[in-house]
Amino acid sequence: MSYVACLRCKECGAEYPITPRTVCDHDFGPVEVAYDYAAMQGKVTRTSIEAGPRSLWRYKDLLPIEGEPKVGLHSGYTPLVKADRLARELGVRELYIKDDSTNYPTFSYKDRVVSVALTKAMEFGFDTVGCASTGNLAHSVAAHAAKAGLRTVVLVPEDLEEGKIVGSRVFGPLLVKIKGNYDDVNRLCSQIADKYPWAIVNVNLRPFYTEGAKTHGFEIAEQMGWQLPKHTVVPVAGGTILPKVWKAYRELIELGLVEDNGPRIHAAQAAGCNPVVKAIAEGEEIFQPQKPNTIAKSIAIGNPADGYYVIKVVTESGGAGESATDPEILAAIGLLARTEGIFTEPAGGTTLACAIKLIQSGRIPRDEPVCVCITGNGLKTIEVMTGQFESSPVIAPRLGEFEQMLAKLDENGASGAHARLATSKVI
Amino acid sequence: MAKTTRKCWLTFEGVCKDQPCVWKMSRQFPQVQFDIRQASVGQKIGIMAIQFDGEEAEVTAAVEFLKSMGVRIDPVEGGSLVET
Repeated sequence: MSYVACLRCKECGAEYPITPRTVCDHDFGPVEVAYDYAAMQGKVTRTSIEAGPRSLWRYKDLLPIEGEPKVGLHSGYTPLVKADRLARELGVRELYIKDDSTNYPTFSYKDRVVSVALTKAMEFGFDTVGCASTGNLAHSVAAHAAKAGLRTVVLVPEDLEEGKIVGSRVFGPLLVKIKGNYDDVNRLCSQIADKYPWAIVNVNLRPFYTEGAKTHGFEIAEQMGWQLPKHTVVPVAGGTILPKVWKAYRELIELGLVEDNGPRIHAAQAAGCNPVVKAIAEGEEIFQPQKPNTIAKSIAIGNPADGYYVIKVVTESGGAGESATDPEILAAIGLLARTEGIFTEPAGGTTLACAIKLIQSGRIPRDEPVCVCITGNGLKTIEVMTGQFESSPVIAPRLGEFEQMLAKLDENGASGAHARLATSKVI
Repeated sequence: MAKTTRKCWLTFEGVCKDQPCVWKMSRQFPQVQFDIRQASVGQKIGIMAIQFDGEEAEVTAAVEFLKSMGVRIDPVEGGSLVET
């Protein structure tokens, strides 16, 4: 049984039946999926959710599908890591990492939204799916569509790096290079969605696609023992995930599954592309689009589609916005790796770097629980860390040389793991 | 001549923010109907949702006229959606 009620305009509240619609006819505001929460009372419970599969589909009752899930059966339910070593480093009492760098099958939070979007696409009867993208979204659409046997069209800017193209091509989509920038690609996708009976996940399936992002928030709450972290730091690219984490928290509160502890949602952006954070800092409701210039390319969106709603949620929840420079992002990637064994992409580095700045400035008090949302995997963007390390020692395969090397490291006062090795007692 | 309907988001910033761009467009292209569905104006930027109706060539020319005044035009249906 589905609890989906209708599509509802986020601006004027006009209601529409469930179809591949994205905007309201009256004011062109975006529509989103509305549910019958009254009907869920007593039926959607902690017990019913805990009895579900160890995937994002354990929250099926709060997702916009009618039947059984068809795609992404193993996506979601990623680890919530209690990051004690990182917490000590930062001087906070309780810190959690929601680690979507391990998401299945393409190692980013996009596997959540794509699982829901493609299941809905199949319910609507689409046999061809697509997206405009340069990275995580393209990988996820191509992979899930391959598993589901759907035809896939991925549109990318012509000048995209070959490495990023391979990450999608391997799954066998029709990959088309467009002569133009991201905006041009997205506009073309919009025209394609109007003309062809195709499901372009982030265009004509957007209301359903974005609902998948709620599962990131549901999991945080459940994995914290059905509690909400007082502070959640979320990266902002197109602005999909942050308002949906908030919606997830509000839904759980509405259903009585968690206590309303006044959760605060904080927005993280790279300093080289921070339209939303800038607007929050200036007290503006509307952001000024920017031209991105940052190493955090997966969140380098100068004109975020849902930026307006990010500003609204951050303000409403009493959160804050923060941005991080490229050196701060790289340092945060290294810190997370060294303390928690998690290798994230620059988007994750941005989120952690911003969380650190929010803690240091007192906007996140050190004695309140914090959750940092890590949305992608560093193995996809290894090039950004190139040159960040000293050269590794090269020696002949002899114990004597190995010991000489250790002694030399000790003499040179080498830092980190090398120094610890050099000074450790030989048993 | 073919009739057309075009739904757009208009973004006003910089010089064009303080000019009556839509009024000028209406004077230049009186045959193009425009219907403002939503608008919000901040200190540095303003946005407006407009539906244009008219002859296709006229509507296209009206939109180009607004662009020439520095107004950013995005189609409503997904055109401003960007995800990587």
